[in-house]
Amino acid sequence: MIDHKLVGSTLYIGIRGELDENSAKGIRQRLDELTEAPGMEKAVFELSELTFMDSTGIGVLLGRYNKLKARGVPIFIANPRGNIDRVLTLSGIYGIMPKIEYSHGKR
Amino acid sequence: MAENYMELKVLSDSKNEAFARNVVAAFCVELNPTVDQIDDIKTAVSEAVTNCVVHGYAKGEPGEITIKAHIQNATLHIEVSDSGVGIADISEALQPYFTTRPDEERSGMGFTVMETFMDSLEVTSDPRVGTTVRMTKCLG
Repeated sequence: MIDHKLVGSTLYIGIRGELDENSAKGIRQRLDELTEAPGMEKAVFELSELTFMDSTGIGVLLGRYNKLKARGVPIFIANPRGNIDRVLTLSGIYGIMPKIEYSHGKR
Repeated sequence: MAENYMELKVLSDSKNEAFARNVVAAFCVELNPTVDQIDDIKTAVSEAVTNCVVHGYAKGEPGEITIKAHIQNATLHIEVSDSGVGIADISEALQPYFTTRPDEERSGMGFTVMETFMDSLEVTSDPRVGTTVRMTKCLG
């Protein structure tokens, strides 16, 4: 469901599959474990292989934003699919977690 | 003209969310929806079912969720209901970012997503009988 790699001081986290109420707990826990990595200055959530997400996912992302903000670590969202992009846009979350294109060094 | 209907009853448990949204998505295939329309329907159904799971019943109490879909001409009508505790103030619940559970990292965007992704949304609730969400989407 989740893979990651640290490139320099940027932690890339790929979230795959479906993010809803049923999967949220496990994904939240794993994201928190991964983002505890020391030396990380920036996190990128790569969503190209996330096939479904409803507003439960917004809550999960906002929760991670609040935790990392306290440490001064910004989060970016990369490559969401159309359906997920619409939910993210509607929520206004890109105002605090900007959307980026990330193509180099695919996982 | 095309007419069809279905009804599904499931245990109010988050593990049934994917099942419920996929059933409704499969049901409406006869109307030849676009990929975007299917995604909209799946997301809206997921929001409605999640509301039942998270808010419908008192914590630890087992409950049931009923999902009905009805095709009439080119319009898909969806009804998602629980027999749970009801919503105290519906207009408050419909406000974007309103949540009764901010401590659980909830976005409060569920009804806003349903309203945006579907053509109509109607919520009725009574503490004695539960909550029903009705949505329609024209797939013509």
